[in-house]
Amino acid sequence: MTQNILNASVKKVNERTSVIEVEGEVTQTSEKDLMDAYEEAVSKKTRTIILNLTNLEYMNSSGIGLLVTLLVRANRHHQKMLACGLSEHYRQIFELTRLDEAIEIHDDETSALAAAGAQ
Amino acid sequence: MTRWARKRPTRAHHGRAAKAEDQDGGSFVTVTDFDISPSDPLVAYVQSNSGAVRLSSLELDSPTVEALKGAGIELVIPLISHGDLVGLLNLGPHRSGREYSSDERKLLDDLVGYVGPAVRVAQLVRQQEEEMRTRGRLEQELRVAQLIQQQFLPKELPHLPGWDIAAFYRPAQAVGGDFYDFIELPDGKMGVVVGDVTDKGVPAALVMATTHSILRSDAPRLVTPSAVLERANDLLVSDIPAHMFVTCLYGVLDPANGTLTFANAGHNLPYLNTGDEAVEIRATGMPLGLMAGSRYEEREASVAPGQSLLLHSDGIAEAHNDDREMFGFPRLRSIVAGGLEGNELIDDILSELDQFTGAEWEQEDDITLVSLCRGAGGSAGFGSPPGEIEKSAPDGSHGQLPRDAVVLADFELESLPGNERAAMERVVEAVRELDLPSRQLDRIKTAVSEATMNAIEHGNENRPHLPVRVSVLSISDNELLVRVTDSGGDRPIPEAETPDIDAKLAGEQSPRGWGLFLIRNMVDDMRLSSEGTHHTIELAFNLRKGHGDEHRI
Repeated sequence: MTQNILNASVKKVNERTSVIEVEGEVTQTSEKDLMDAYEEAVSKKTRTIILNLTNLEYMNSSGIGLLVTLLVRANRHHQKMLACGLSEHYRQIFELTRLDEAIEIHDDETSALAAAGAQ
Repeated sequence: MTRWARKRPTRAHHGRAAKAEDQDGGSFVTVTDFDISPSDPLVAYVQSNSGAVRLSSLELDSPTVEALKGAGIELVIPLISHGDLVGLLNLGPHRSGREYSSDERKLLDDLVGYVGPAVRVAQLVRQQEEEMRTRGRLEQELRVAQLIQQQFLPKELPHLPGWDIAAFYRPAQAVGGDFYDFIELPDGKMGVVVGDVTDKGVPAALVMATTHSILRSDAPRLVTPSAVLERANDLLVSDIPAHMFVTCLYGVLDPANGTLTFANAGHNLPYLNTGDEAVEIRATGMPLGLMAGSRYEEREASVAPGQSLLLHSDGIAEAHNDDREMFGFPRLRSIVAGGLEGNELIDDILSELDQFTGAEWEQEDDITLVSLCRGAGGSAGFGSPPGEIEKSAPDGSHGQLPRDAVVLADFELESLPGNERAAMERVVEAVRELDLPSRQLDRIKTAVSEATMNAIEHGNENRPHLPVRVSVLSISDNELLVRVTDSGGDRPIPEAETPDIDAKLAGEQSPRGWGLFLIRNMVDDMRLSSEGTHHTIELAFNLRKGHGDEHRI
């Protein structure tokens, strides 16, 4: 069994928009990495955080809990969260949990950036 | 100090005039709620006259104006959004005691230009929230109905030597009141029940549960089908809600000679496939619960070796296609005459139904099918094909194994965090030969890993030496069962709170707690059971395409 861990890299598109690229798995062990990535991604002027989940291999219920925690934090700072690159399975999970009502889903990063007004 | 009236969806206006005490301990302290009728002349007045209105200068025969004046209101400014009156901004006397100046009134007029749309947005949000709460409640109710229903469906098919028994149940979206049952009777006989409660949802499910219990308790004692139905009718008549009744066919099968003695309370007639044709077997009687003292005709049918019986509910024959054409009994009958039996017959009926209704069809009513086939060799028994195992489980703690089960994997894991991944990967390995579509595999993976994680964390409380057992079974090539068993003791399984994203975002619920919710949504069926120090969650996946909620054992 390969132990895939989370690799979250941050790309600041401009001062209002950042992309967090999530690679590997989002589970209970990913909390620190994900929150660190969030801290790195945001500044006072950040309005939009885009989660690029193209390379997400596995996310479980704890991972969904983490996304909710992240979302609460982003809401508190009046930042909008978008997600892109979800596989059909995780898109379905976003819909089931109604996360898709709180995190706008886009097919790819380009359209997410366009929606964020960053392109 | 004022608030504004809120427009309700009923279009009656509901107002609240509130007064607060000022710093000087001033006079105004009452809060008054009042409804504004849509026909109140004030409504028409403020809609045709923009801007602030001094109540003292108004001469309208309006109960609202009187109420506002009574509450100490002097100035009313209508809140308009897109031409609709959405509320009133009500002001009491000026703090200085003088009249409101024209500058002040101008300021208020400007202000309400912003306030109106904002109030409208708030109203829409609130309306949306209310709708969501209602929707949540309906879903909850549906789940309860489903739970009751599933509780009373047989968990296992009876094993009758020389007979092949198959059953299928698929609830409609709104969950009708279908049920079926097999009852063990003295002398090796078996009672078979197929029924349908009029109405849907929780009430139907409750009546179904009651009928089920009555039949269960009376059948072994009374034996003759007509007596059983008469008794059930008498018991139901006094308790059943006025608009509800139950159709029900009850038969007693003697597996040794193929005789079915049966009585019918207004249910669809079963088909006997004689090999040449499908014939209806008929007995008359009123539905249960309709009137006291109903009597039931009792008939006998003989199922010869190689023949089979099909019992069915309305959901099939009364299905409509897009042209409102009915599937109909003749069509069903001709499928039965086609000669298939057991699961093959059920599959055939369902695929004909699929073709008839088209892919977009939303199932109108529950569908129940029960097939009883007498083997051509009489009561000699079928014997088990290679690879199949007997019904009794090797280990009682892990539950009974259904007939026709093939064990694909059976292993134990230590209760260590992360081992849910190992469970998931071993299950994937075990089902590789089934060549499942990737969508289904994803669902299985998520459900198995969540169930294992629950067993590790909640059942075994992360005590590594306590094992989690996972077994993977395939049933007759059309169902996959994964059983996950903990060894955490005899504590009851706690009720899980239904996760709600809004409550979580509002901080009213923990952000976590999605596990069981995810599992429920990934599987076609799920059963929780406890035995001794073990809890088992059984995840069932239907391996045939296109059907989500069906129940086949």
